[in-house]
Amino acid sequence: MVNATMQTENVDTTAIRQHELQTVRRSFIRGIAEPLGLIAALVALIIVFSLLNPRFATLENLRNVLDQASVPLIVGVGATLVILLGSIDLSVEGVMGASGMAWILMSANSRGGADLGVWAWIGAIAIGMALGFASGALFTRLKVPSFIVTLGMWYVGLGIATVMYGSGIVPMLTDEAVGGWASSATLGLPNSFWLAAVVVVLGVLTLRYTRLGRVTYAIGDNETIAKGNGVPVARVKTVVFVIAASLSGLAGIIATMKLGAGSATVGSGVLFVVIPAVVIGGTSLGGGKGGVLRTVLGVLLLTVLTNGLILAGVSPSWQSGVSGAILVAAIIVAAWSQRDRLRVAK
Amino acid sequence: MSLNRIARRATAAVAASAAFALALSGCTTTAGAAGSSSEPLQKEDLVIVASVINTLNPYFQGNITGAEALGEELGIPVEIVDANGDPGTQISKIQGVIAKGKKVVLFVNTVDNSVVRPIVDSVKQAGGFVTIWWNKPDDYEPWDAGDNFVAFQKHSGVDSGRCNAKALGDALGGEGNVIMLPGVQDSTTSQTRVAGFRAEMEENYPGITILEERPSNWDPQLAFDNSKQLITKYGDDIDGVWSADDGMQIGSMKAFKDAGLIDEVQFASDGLYPETIAAMEAGEPIVGETFHRGYMASAVGLYTAYLAATGEIVPSELPEEKRNSLFELSCVTPDTLPDYLQYDEPDAPAKFIDELIENGPWDAEPMPLVSGGPEVLP
Repeated sequence: MVNATMQTENVDTTAIRQHELQTVRRSFIRGIAEPLGLIAALVALIIVFSLLNPRFATLENLRNVLDQASVPLIVGVGATLVILLGSIDLSVEGVMGASGMAWILMSANSRGGADLGVWAWIGAIAIGMALGFASGALFTRLKVPSFIVTLGMWYVGLGIATVMYGSGIVPMLTDEAVGGWASSATLGLPNSFWLAAVVVVLGVLTLRYTRLGRVTYAIGDNETIAKGNGVPVARVKTVVFVIAASLSGLAGIIATMKLGAGSATVGSGVLFVVIPAVVIGGTSLGGGKGGVLRTVLGVLLLTVLTNGLILAGVSPSWQSGVSGAILVAAIIVAAWSQRDRLRVAK
Repeated sequence: MSLNRIARRATAAVAASAAFALALSGCTTTAGAAGSSSEPLQKEDLVIVASVINTLNPYFQGNITGAEALGEELGIPVEIVDANGDPGTQISKIQGVIAKGKKVVLFVNTVDNSVVRPIVDSVKQAGGFVTIWWNKPDDYEPWDAGDNFVAFQKHSGVDSGRCNAKALGDALGGEGNVIMLPGVQDSTTSQTRVAGFRAEMEENYPGITILEERPSNWDPQLAFDNSKQLITKYGDDIDGVWSADDGMQIGSMKAFKDAGLIDEVQFASDGLYPETIAAMEAGEPIVGETFHRGYMASAVGLYTAYLAATGEIVPSELPEEKRNSLFELSCVTPDTLPDYLQYDEPDAPAKFIDELIENGPWDAEPMPLVSGGPEVLP
């Protein structure tokens, strides 16, 4: 009996592994085929905006768009991982505020204090990790929905930033070289974008070639089966939340560096770029389907849209409405190929 | 589920509902026992309460400093209510403080117009006194609500915009292109500043072209992003940048620094934050600012409400301009900057309180009453 059970288990595991591999392969192929609609939408936007204002299609504006896309890209990689699990991380802006504020206060700034150099980065990202660990642990151990836990953690992060800010003057970066790093260019493109590109590549590699990536898809696809096959679901989820929050922390540093000043609300608005970007990219909110490169397309689409509307001279009063309408049109184009599939749309 | 667990849950549920009911009855009692009273109140029955939109910018922190300085001078405890930028939070937290039982002398820097009526109603019912700063509905005046809504006070946004336009227009020699970064588009404060800026430019600086207006929600980060887009769009055609407050100006200046254009552009804005003073002293191209301080606003507002609470003034007997009031703000240029540094010394709030108590809320330098509201757009 005992032997028989063990054998069954062995057979089962292999089957699941094969299935996993198949899923990965299939999703890789689909990953190339499906985003074509989205790319078409992006290209269409670029052509229209270039016609409306010749300054749109310049190298300077490309730098501008990539610089602006860098923060949502970094956050987007983490958000994609979390959403692939079927969870959601709303703490992004709070974590960015806490890490950004910690970083500037530990770097050379107008309030004085020690300049800890690289330790400022480590300390600031550690705060993000701690917040991510808290979210992950509360979510998995106490079974509180991630939606609620991370909403709370958003305000915890904001609270930490507010306490650190205290009642002194606005901390401003005093080292011009540090303040200008993110936006200055290497090989023609802004450093912030290169950093985001590295994060994106690491995100893609993690999802495609590591066990963590595979079990993330497995959990999002069907948690019960994943658990039944011995995947340490709680641990994996916690790790993913820690990774996501670390990336939010990194994004907080970059945003603060770009602004040159400490602000607890440095992340304001990022969540509402990142979550739509992930979804537009085609990563399912239900988990298990999607990927980082799709999120990149989503972020680029949204950044180009904001930038293009300003360059096209759309009046601010009209911008929200026009931007929403174009977004809906872009999603329809992007999802056209999938319209007959049974996709949950709730 | 075992019987034991069911029993435990039931007990917990009963306990929770009992606590909830107790809390409810507590609130009802407080509200019921109070009610509007015209008897002057004693100092020991009072609590000074200052409610701010958030605690994240120097202006709101100034509001807190002013309340604390006044409380110390008058010997009355102080409570601060942080609205976290949310109208609902502002209302409920203020109601929470009122429910504690002491009569409130309240200053509210309102998150938006919608909070004014519910806050005034709660204060009135509990017999406290409130002064509202910056935002209120146009059709709701203090005299409509009675003596408990002592006054509505603000600085003129039109004057602020005109100040900045004049400084920028002069610095540019009357010729050039300007971009504008207003705050939240539907905020009265931002709208009045924009209207003042545009009117001054149209009337007196016909050679200045306003290229574009791009609302940046009082957010330095958004002002930074918007400035980058506008730099791409207009390049070095931009000669001047106006921001509706210094926070956004910090973001905008950083964008121009990154683009290597900082030396070709002049800036003007409202608030004269400490960071702005430092930048002006360092020779950065800020040509015009308006001066007003958060601690002065809260101290004037609270002192007006305090005088009503202690019966030294009777709001219904005041002229309308003392109940819907516009206070002076000062135009500052790099030349006049040194005159204003005294107001940021550590003892400045205490000094201002002395001035306030000596001359009353409508004649305290440097922000005496200028005229009655509502503010008329040019």
